[in-house]
Amino acid sequence: MTSQPGMSDVILGCVVPYIDDPKDRDAVSLVCRRWYELDALTRKHITIALCYTTSPDRLRRRFRHLESLKLKGKPRAAMFNLIPEDWGGYVTPWVNEIAENFNCLRSVHFRRMIVKDSDLEVLARSRGKVLQVLKLDKCSGFSTDGLLQVGRMCRQLRTLFLEESSIIEKDGQWLHELAVNNSVLMTLNFYMTDLVKVSFEDLELIARNCRNLASVKISDCEILDLVGFFRAASVLEEFCGGSFNDQPERYTVVSFPPRLCRLGLTYMGKNEMPIVFPFASLLKKLDLLYALLDTEDHCSLIQRCPNLEVLETRNVIGDRGLEVLARSCKRLKRLRIERGADEHGMEDEEGVVSQRGLMALAQGCLELEYLAVYVSDITNASLQYIGTYSKNLCDFRLVLLDREDRITDLPLDNGVRDLLRGCEKLRRFALYLRPGGLTDVGLGYIGQYSPKVRWMLLGYVGGSDAGILEFSKGCPSLQKLEVRGCCFSEHALAASVMQLTSLRYLWVQGYRASKSGCDLFAMARPFWNIELIPARRIVMTDHVGEADVVEDPAHILAYYSLAGPRADFPETVIPLDPLAAGVEL
Amino acid sequence: MSRATVELDFFGMEKANSGKTQFQKFLDRRRSFRGIQGAISKMNPELIKSVISSGSTNRSPVDWRKSFSVPSSPKEDRSSPVSSLPILNPAFMSSSSEDGPDTAPLTIFYNGTVSVFNVPRDKAESIFKLAVEGSSKNIESTDSSKISNPSSEQQNLLETRNGDLPIARRKSLQRFLEKRKERLTCASPYAW
Repeated sequence: MTSQPGMSDVILGCVVPYIDDPKDRDAVSLVCRRWYELDALTRKHITIALCYTTSPDRLRRRFRHLESLKLKGKPRAAMFNLIPEDWGGYVTPWVNEIAENFNCLRSVHFRRMIVKDSDLEVLARSRGKVLQVLKLDKCSGFSTDGLLQVGRMCRQLRTLFLEESSIIEKDGQWLHELAVNNSVLMTLNFYMTDLVKVSFEDLELIARNCRNLASVKISDCEILDLVGFFRAASVLEEFCGGSFNDQPERYTVVSFPPRLCRLGLTYMGKNEMPIVFPFASLLKKLDLLYALLDTEDHCSLIQRCPNLEVLETRNVIGDRGLEVLARSCKRLKRLRIERGADEHGMEDEEGVVSQRGLMALAQGCLELEYLAVYVSDITNASLQYIGTYSKNLCDFRLVLLDREDRITDLPLDNGVRDLLRGCEKLRRFALYLRPGGLTDVGLGYIGQYSPKVRWMLLGYVGGSDAGILEFSKGCPSLQKLEVRGCCFSEHALAASVMQLTSLRYLWVQGYRASKSGCDLFAMARPFWNIELIPARRIVMTDHVGEADVVEDPAHILAYYSLAGPRADFPETVIPLDPLAAGVEL
Repeated sequence: MSRATVELDFFGMEKANSGKTQFQKFLDRRRSFRGIQGAISKMNPELIKSVISSGSTNRSPVDWRKSFSVPSSPKEDRSSPVSSLPILNPAFMSSSSEDGPDTAPLTIFYNGTVSVFNVPRDKAESIFKLAVEGSSKNIESTDSSKISNPSSEQQNLLETRNGDLPIARRKSLQRFLEKRKERLTCASPYAW
């Protein structure tokens, strides 16, 4: 028995480790000092949504026994080429802290950060014996030399994830090191990297040595060269990547592993598609983003996949494809429809998705939890359908493409309102329209009817400052807000920030700047960092050497931080210092 | 061959010479310029005239560097009339100074005027493309040489393109679509 009322430490100690949800853990840690300390000792995983919000030192002081860490760096806009490459998000100080002090750390995930070969070497040397998961997710700054160290020294890796990272490729040795040193690998991912010097023989070796290999996603590599790999990878469930460069008939020899149920074959065309048919009914996930199929092909393939739960593709699927999807895939949970080519001559013929497809989808796929779609046309009614039928929707993202001059039914005020009221589980919401797409009233609806939404992206919505001010009276749970191409003044943005009670992160590009940039100081407050990326002109060279000059308007980035202003600004980022400007806090 | 005496107005130089300090030219919707298209459209009008006159008197190329101070970057020349020039396409310059024999006369008939340029083949093709595209694209005049960012300029930038921030593409998809374009336009799809 304890001398104080309440649970004994022993009981508490047994119960708390079972609590995993971060929000629950947050709540636990706020009860009293005892509970705070117990949480600190037993918390297994931490996600730091922006690496500059705290410091490695602080993390160590609170969560010394951490087993798993996820760190995010650059703003999400970096995935769309909108953030300077040297913006920041260096892992070095974190890696150094990990090497010295985090003795229980087994899983490291860096997302949109800058990683150097030396960082990888430090990590591999210090934690190589225990590291089980290493994810360099959309990172840059390192080469295959760093990966070589990982392959050599991290022999306990279950997961090596490099998807979409920009890697300087010197050779394919790193994969060979991985192949000869590791026998426990379960997940290997270098999808959407430009690594071409990897050898398929090493892949085959990995498949033979690692009996638990369940998921492999690779860069371009001729599928015919992978026949041996597929034969060896007997428990493979997921495969993405590869490439089709030969005559279609030759691919009949390809035989896929029996448990394969998540698939994405790069450059797969109409003539190669039939190799998937024999096991299409087993497919739970299909990635057609990088395939070369037309609308008819989509219809033909999708109707054979009644167990499909996740589909990712481009808008070549068309309304017709969505209707087939709605009829055939009743278990669909996640659907992402990306924007296809719209360059003249490169477009897909029926490649438009509109209200017609959305309405069919809403009625047909009642289990939908995630929907992200680029549409060419839209109506209020289709959004209302989603509100009526998609009761499980947690994440909804709609972008209205800008090719058509006339949209059937704008503004979308009522449709958006009805969608938000109907989809009660919504946590993430993105709406990217055009001037006239949503009035200030509609923007007010968003504020009013999104009680649980934590993240929002708003593009070209509202008509005046009144809109954002009304919006910010609501959104009680909004933690992270991204705004693009809006007409709001600095002053209104600052005032809105002060009204959004849960807001901890704001990103804006395209707004009405004041002459001095000082109107932003209306949101100056302790622990709130404000940074500007001034307007730039970027020269981008595509892979055939053609130069493209793009105007990039100014960005505002503001976030709560316990660590004070950054100390590693590049030239392209300017901190706003209210103290220096003499602004009273 | 007689001296070319026709006054060229293909690029609206009359307007440029009438008091405007900047040589305003169209950009395409994505505000991009490629190769010769950009270089010609932003060239010093005096420079273009010199090319014409030198092209008709002698086939050997003009050394522009002697005739004018051609800026290599816009920053150097804020005060002179050519201050608005962006980076001159070096490819254009070098080809004209080196490949005398590889250039051929390009004759343009436009709105009652005739003019002759000495250009290499690839530049000629770009000019043809330019002419084709110029008739169908939106024409916006804009100040294209400023790099820095006072707030009032941000204002201008936003005002001229309110509603015009292009929808950004995801990097991964951008790369894929470029590769797809190669595959679709390649003559033999089954490469090796």
